[in-house]
Amino acid sequence: MTRASDTAVLELEGVHRTYPGSPPVNALVGVDLRIEAGEMVAVVGPSGSGKSTLLNIMGTLDRPTEGRLLIEGTDTSKLSDRRLSGLRSARLGFVFQSFHLIETLSALDNVAAGLLYRGTSGRQRREMAQIALEKVGLGDRLHARPTKLSGGQRQRVAIARAIVAEPSLILADEPTGNLDTATGDGIVDLLKQLNADGSTIVVITHDADLAAQLPRQIEVRDGAVRQRAVDQ
Amino acid sequence: MMDRSKLRARDVVSTSVVGLRSRRGRTALTALGIAIGIASMVAVVGISSSSKAALIAQLDSLGTNLLRVEASSTGISIEPLPIEAEPMIRRVENVDAAAAVISTEFEVRRNDRDTNVVGINAMAASPELFETLRVDTTAGRPLDDGLRALPVVVLGDVAAIRLGITDLEGGPVIDVGGQDFVVVGILDELPLNPDISRKVLIGDQAAIELLGVEPNPTAIYVRVDPDLINETRPLLAPTAHPGRPAKVDVSRPSDLLEARAEVDQNLQNLLLALGGVALLVGGVGIANVMVISVLERRGEIGLRRALGATRGHIRSQFVLEAALLSGLGGVLGILLGSGITIGYARRQGWVVDLPPLALASGLGAALVIGMLAGFYPAAKAARLDPALAVSGGSN
Repeated sequence: MTRASDTAVLELEGVHRTYPGSPPVNALVGVDLRIEAGEMVAVVGPSGSGKSTLLNIMGTLDRPTEGRLLIEGTDTSKLSDRRLSGLRSARLGFVFQSFHLIETLSALDNVAAGLLYRGTSGRQRREMAQIALEKVGLGDRLHARPTKLSGGQRQRVAIARAIVAEPSLILADEPTGNLDTATGDGIVDLLKQLNADGSTIVVITHDADLAAQLPRQIEVRDGAVRQRAVDQ
Repeated sequence: MMDRSKLRARDVVSTSVVGLRSRRGRTALTALGIAIGIASMVAVVGISSSSKAALIAQLDSLGTNLLRVEASSTGISIEPLPIEAEPMIRRVENVDAAAAVISTEFEVRRNDRDTNVVGINAMAASPELFETLRVDTTAGRPLDDGLRALPVVVLGDVAAIRLGITDLEGGPVIDVGGQDFVVVGILDELPLNPDISRKVLIGDQAAIELLGVEPNPTAIYVRVDPDLINETRPLLAPTAHPGRPAKVDVSRPSDLLEARAEVDQNLQNLLLALGGVALLVGGVGIANVMVISVLERRGEIGLRRALGATRGHIRSQFVLEAALLSGLGGVLGILLGSGITIGYARRQGWVVDLPPLALASGLGAALVIGMLAGFYPAAKAARLDPALAVSGGSN
């Protein structure tokens, strides 16, 4: 597989996602989308619009019923579970609304878990985790358990975990959804900072104010995508 | 580009350990189920093995070359053996020692009490009996040629207890058939010949002359060359009673002890089966807890999938968790079972014998049960839709 220099980080071509049932639910209907390296994109839409489905498909956690997803030029529809998992471990970083931290592990070990399925040695994982935690401003809370951290600090740990493997794309699902406004703003600033340092980031949100702060917005409504602005 | 998802072997283990450590109480209780199963199996094997070892040691010291020749008890009246039976048997090749005894109906009493001591009878014995049975005295001395015709007795250990005579202080005297007999010795235990333990032994000449006992022996104990028992045994009946060998029984007292070990085998199998049931129940408990755990940990499973875990990684994490849980129970069970065995064996005065194979198979059984119990929940975990798992719901 050759990679052209203009290959997008992520590309959706005619993606449909239908959930079986009676009647079947058409969560996505013919989505075409291209995200270039270095972009920071907001995906907005009311709940039930299909934006979570879109995120799951972009993150290869779900597969399109029709159409295809290319990540850095690789067609993911033909990949086995093993290859797809490998691709996730190397190229994608996730930030979830509910943080998904493992409570019995320290902040450092939670972040190091971001490298667990890459086969990196334990020592190297911890070294890289420390660097990532310093980057998100938690260099002084390396050994704290998640229960000892504030909501904002927990989300920073989760962001550190998402960036520790230096992925091509970071997918953040309602990253401020469980946080108060001031703390949420701090998280958005951090994501902007990471973007300025070169990370490609997609933020899913229902918060129009948050979306308005980002250079590009994609609106999802009834399973279809409307692009509002492209600030390239 | 080839992005491979890989998890180091040690990380597989530590991931599973984290899963167990985060639920300590549940881990301990679940492991306990397995521990009880393994402990009971180890204790059953350990105790019966220690008991068998003790029995073998006892048989070795007592010898399996003692035979008992007696008048056959079939028919209405027992016809005693001929008087010459004892000297004839002693002349048989490979016979090392032989001693005749004559059972009597004389009940024994302590002089200072009037009541009969039930079940304790006098028995006439030739002095060679003690050497033939290889029995020592715990007090005093056995009968010998000098005491053979005198009114003296040696007590079997059980008879001594029944009579309340534990030492020879003050020269105890007992009453046999209305006559006084001085106690000169008390015998040690006779595991092979519990019947002798319950007798009061009088010299054969004293019995015949003082009590009027018939001189025909009722039984003869024979010690033969240990390597030639099978060759010698058939010669004893015709030698003892040349005219009617069919009226003579020849038995080997140690066979009774060995038979007891065989009876224990059936009980052991039953107890092992019960331990096996406990182990299976423990395994079902593990499967149960793991299924619940998978439901509770959907978020963690989704996260791990997002971090790049393959289905196989998730499956091995949960199978290993189940196996570790069960292995932990196995180790606990082995410690517990060994402790029970050691405690019991010490109380019984046995040498502790814990077969390493039994311990190893206990641990092996625990691990196998754990893995089997883990397969279904692990498959469930691996099949979870990662998109649903991370969101913890639908949409």
